[in-house]
Amino acid sequence: MAEPRTGLRVDGDVVPAGAPGATLLDVLRASGNFAAKGACRRGECGACTVLVGDRAVLACTTLAALVTDEVTTAAGLGDDAADLRAAFADHAAFQCGFCTPGQVVRAEAVLRERVERGRDEIVRAMSGNVCRCTGYRQIVDAVCAVAQSRQCFRKVSS
Amino acid sequence: MSALGQSVRPLDWVEKTSGTARYAADEPPEGTLVARVLRSPLPHADIRRLDVSAALRVPGVHAVVTAADFPEGRLYEHSGGPYSDRPPMAVDRVLYVGHEVAAVAAETAEAADEAIRRIDVRYRRRKAVLTVPDALAPGAPRLHERADGANVAVATAEHWGDVDLARTNASVAARGTFRYPRVNHACMEPNTTIAWWHGERLEMWTSSQAPHFVVHELTHLFGLELDQVVCRDVAVGGGFGSKSKISEHEALAAALSMKCGRPVLLELSRAEEFAFTKPRHAFETRLEAHADADGRLCFLDAVIDVDNGAYNHYGPSVMRAGIKQLGSMYRPDAVRWDARLVDTNLVPGGQFRGYGQPQTAIALETLMDELAEKCGQDPIEFRIDNSGLPDTTQLSGSQVGSNRLRECLAQVRDRIGWDAKRGPDRRPYRGVGVSSGMHASGSYAYPGGNTSAAGVEVRTTGDVVVRFGGADAGTGQRTILGQIAAEVLGVPMDRISVIMADWDETPPDMGAWSSRGTHMGGHAVRQTAEAMAARLCELGAEKLGTSEVALADGRVSSAADSVAIADLVDLADESADGSLRIDTEYVEPKMQPYWTGIERPNISATYAYAAHAIEVEVDPGTGVIRVLDYAAVHDIGRAINPALVEGQIIGGAVQGLGAALGERLHYEGGRLVNAGYVHYPLPRATTVPSIDVALIEGPEPAGPFNAKSVGEIALIPAAPALLNAVYDATGIRFRELPLTPDVVLAALQERDGVPPRKHHLARRPGRWQIGLFRALYPYGIHLLLDRWGTRFARRRTPRAVERVALPETVAEAVAELSSPDATVIGGGTDVLVQRDQELLFPTVLVGTNKIAALRGIDEEAGGDWRIGAAVTLAELATWAAERVPVVADAVATIASAQIREVATVAGNLGQEKRCWFFRNGFDCYKRGGVSCPCYAVEGDHRLHHAAIGGHRCQAVTPSDLATVFDALGAEVVLTGPGGSRRVSIAGLYAGPGELDLRPGELVEAIVLPAAALRSRGTFVKLQQWDGDFALVSLAACASVDTDGRWTAARYVFGGLAPKPWQPPRLTRALAGTVPTPDAVADVLDQDLSWEAHPLPGNRWKLDAAIGLARQATEQLLLGRTRDEE
Ligand code: FES
Ligand code: FES
Repeated sequence: MAEPRTGLRVDGDVVPAGAPGATLLDVLRASGNFAAKGACRRGECGACTVLVGDRAVLACTTLAALVTDEVTTAAGLGDDAADLRAAFADHAAFQCGFCTPGQVVRAEAVLRERVERGRDEIVRAMSGNVCRCTGYRQIVDAVCAVAQSRQCFRKVSS
Repeated sequence: MSALGQSVRPLDWVEKTSGTARYAADEPPEGTLVARVLRSPLPHADIRRLDVSAALRVPGVHAVVTAADFPEGRLYEHSGGPYSDRPPMAVDRVLYVGHEVAAVAAETAEAADEAIRRIDVRYRRRKAVLTVPDALAPGAPRLHERADGANVAVATAEHWGDVDLARTNASVAARGTFRYPRVNHACMEPNTTIAWWHGERLEMWTSSQAPHFVVHELTHLFGLELDQVVCRDVAVGGGFGSKSKISEHEALAAALSMKCGRPVLLELSRAEEFAFTKPRHAFETRLEAHADADGRLCFLDAVIDVDNGAYNHYGPSVMRAGIKQLGSMYRPDAVRWDARLVDTNLVPGGQFRGYGQPQTAIALETLMDELAEKCGQDPIEFRIDNSGLPDTTQLSGSQVGSNRLRECLAQVRDRIGWDAKRGPDRRPYRGVGVSSGMHASGSYAYPGGNTSAAGVEVRTTGDVVVRFGGADAGTGQRTILGQIAAEVLGVPMDRISVIMADWDETPPDMGAWSSRGTHMGGHAVRQTAEAMAARLCELGAEKLGTSEVALADGRVSSAADSVAIADLVDLADESADGSLRIDTEYVEPKMQPYWTGIERPNISATYAYAAHAIEVEVDPGTGVIRVLDYAAVHDIGRAINPALVEGQIIGGAVQGLGAALGERLHYEGGRLVNAGYVHYPLPRATTVPSIDVALIEGPEPAGPFNAKSVGEIALIPAAPALLNAVYDATGIRFRELPLTPDVVLAALQERDGVPPRKHHLARRPGRWQIGLFRALYPYGIHLLLDRWGTRFARRRTPRAVERVALPETVAEAVAELSSPDATVIGGGTDVLVQRDQELLFPTVLVGTNKIAALRGIDEEAGGDWRIGAAVTLAELATWAAERVPVVADAVATIASAQIREVATVAGNLGQEKRCWFFRNGFDCYKRGGVSCPCYAVEGDHRLHHAAIGGHRCQAVTPSDLATVFDALGAEVVLTGPGGSRRVSIAGLYAGPGELDLRPGELVEAIVLPAAALRSRGTFVKLQQWDGDFALVSLAACASVDTDGRWTAARYVFGGLAPKPWQPPRLTRALAGTVPTPDAVADVLDQDLSWEAHPLPGNRWKLDAAIGLARQATEQLLLGRTRDEE
């Protein structure tokens, strides 16, 4: 029988794993890391998206006790995502910003796959992240622009 | 370079994109308590007993408040006078489901929840009025004493212009009754407040667009001085009007903190946010529009009923704004209206972007189209001919300066390709439609509405600080105000910062509502910055010894010399601490107030205009509307920050589309049914087109730097343009939103004269009992079970998880599962949600992700494939992509990529039903037990319930994998204490989303037969967005021989029946043939006639199933094994 973890690695720190039933989102926020947002807490919106290892997952429906890999929030992406964040700013890809940490993390995970994608595929890949403000176009514009500069953008969508 | 007209980065971009922006719930002060609210479960009842003593005894509880904790008789001010009708908490009587009865603050959420459960409250039910007609029926119970009639909060019947003359001129008329439902703002940040009473002051971190209304209402409610309440400058996660006035949570959090002196966090859950915040008011607009023979609009005659909900809030002005639009957009000779704001026992309506205008615009803009058609004119030309003119006073009193609606209309025609798309080569079921829109830039709706204040500060460091007392909920106002200051003072943006909301730091301002941010705030900052510039020039002149100076690029210069403004700060006597600050107040000269008896006041200084055009495609097989193209052209005056302006336009248009295509709050017995994103189809990235925006700029002397408003206008034309486009595509005039596929498909069938399908129930004795039961539901069964049966409903007591077990072998897992309190957890994406929904409280969670035997996909002897139960959907899709594409296609439609990363195969098969009554807390048959009703029988069952084989429960199995695995003939390996066994997919389920497992058993693997990998397959799914649960889905697989004959075929439908459903006749008929889509449709139609037993509202699903079967058959015949779009 494997032992549940007592600590979690988050953005380079180790934080306590919390109660057995705690979600990853609970644990993050209790540890003072507020980058992941709880907009629905039922896995329906993507606002709490974080990386576990290199996979983008929803912190609100992840049981912290099952997490073994390093967790990275929008605050922990660091310089890797500097171009992406700048693109969000340049394309006005956020308004209220509440969905944005989740959008940025999801986009970073998509881009790190280094799979060539066209605009439609980027739209589909991002479609689990709800945004009530922007109407999405500018978010997609921003992600496409970075995909282009990171050389994983295909002009024509398949 | 000028700071204006540049798409500079938002000032808060670093924080917002890195997750470090502080929202109200982030970084709570040390010792913050958690608050919860006890809300009425009934729409109308007397509170017979309310005893909170047991709650106070719960360890960790620090405060409980009820109405008794507020000064007696104190009401929210809202819009004042007779319109104020709401006490801060329910007093003796509850008026809607959700009405606040008590609130508690405790050390932990668990303690607060427990305290809420301990509050002893007894109600005596009263008759409730849940619709406008019910509220107006003779003898209806009254919610309030109203001057204008029983349950009539406000009635107004007036006119502008000469009605008789206008009527005599008219020769063409169009009329209709239009309904705009209640919709929710669904801001991503739920309403959230931290209130902290300390040092005789209330310190608030709250999600507000307008601290003004929070400060004023709280001081009024608690008898405080203005400087005793302060709202700190926090990021606000979307408002759209919902946070533009006080929301009740601020008052509750404040009351709790005042009682215990600790900071109190009150954060609404998403379910509360949907159910209990104030939605857009539903309007029923009966409109007649008359034109003369030349196509000139003469007369508009409206009868409007507005569903107020249980309290006024700003309903009276919402209704007025909806009426006012009728006399503002075009140039009729007369407008007449008879409008009522009607009290109902539903959550009160509130302010929502567009503010009454979207509701009446669907009527006005549809009838403009109809008049154009009757006059034989093009809809765009007709609008251009009738549009209001610049520099005129409209019938409504609006004194319009610039008005470029005509240019907008002309340009939108080109941008959407109007002439080509409506020309002779048009594709069937495609259409384009247009709508105009307009909005004021701020309004003088309340005292002070014409006033705005700002501070500008220059520091010796060279930094410039703008101080503004409103709040930016995401509109970009912070950046716009910074740009204006930068422009006036000639300093670069990176020296500018903007402090907002916090009146310790800023002069007070009324905040962001009525699209006033750019106009009022912009003028206030412009005026203050200009005053600062003048003062700096004065100081510079002194320093440089000449009066001939000018300010540019952050320096005051004379012909000979120059000095940086930073170096002038200390020269001013009034400077302190290295800072020179000036505050001024801007009073808008053009605005006239509503309340001083001016008959038709000009409430705003400028008016913005827009034209939107939409191209749609309607799928006649399923009723789904796809928006193919969208163009928006806006008369903006001047775009101070074009990217932010575009963002407002796209965001507004998409919200308008959401309401047009799917959003709607559904109530059952006064209680919200769809209280979650999963049941509220707001636009997702995949459901909206890439919106093309064009800005028309030009002078507007009344605007700051010519700018006009943009916050609300874009939402207004979206729905009417869509309605007009759908008419163009189908010839059907829809007059009620939203246009969900059921509505569209039913209308298409009616248009084509398709008779309703017969279900031969008399010859199907197996259905008699259910048929009888359903028939009796409206005659007492529902009432009996709802009122009495639910008293015996099973309720699960919340329990904490005590242990997470991580077995490494199946045997260990089976051993753990011997406890009835243990539950298997795969990715957790349903188990944790069910816990939140109070459906499941396991104390032991048995994780499967460490069991190597469950994590693999392996080929077995004979070519079958064994898929481990704990394989994630993402892993399954990768494996299946080349081998069984139909599985990968199905997986791609499930939830989101994030969920697919962790959700497991067994978890998908075993997820609970998604029925929106069951999931959203209704004590239904499945949640509460046999004494409880199935709410779907009488309630809204159009989308998510069974049309075939429903019994006491009408839910369906939500798993798409079940559908596709069944079509592939897969089997499931179940392992328990007694060993392993294999069942078919049909044998796996005991009921909708219910696995037929023996005690201690778990799903170990799914076995795909070798033949499945050789068959052709296709998966088609009718859903409201990518990742939605299937309304109807179909997995079809066929083994095809070399001649193209289908030797075997299975069509399995999801979403139609409690379990995946295989039409029996069709399966028999297909074998050995080369079928055609028509032949498949014919046989399936027979199956549906003989097997289906739909509820009245979900017959359409059967027709949609035929539509999907045609699609699937075509794809199979093409040999398509993937969705190659
Ligand atoms: S908060 Fe996690 S998905 Fe919405
Ligand atoms: S920016 Fe507000 S929700 Fe996306």
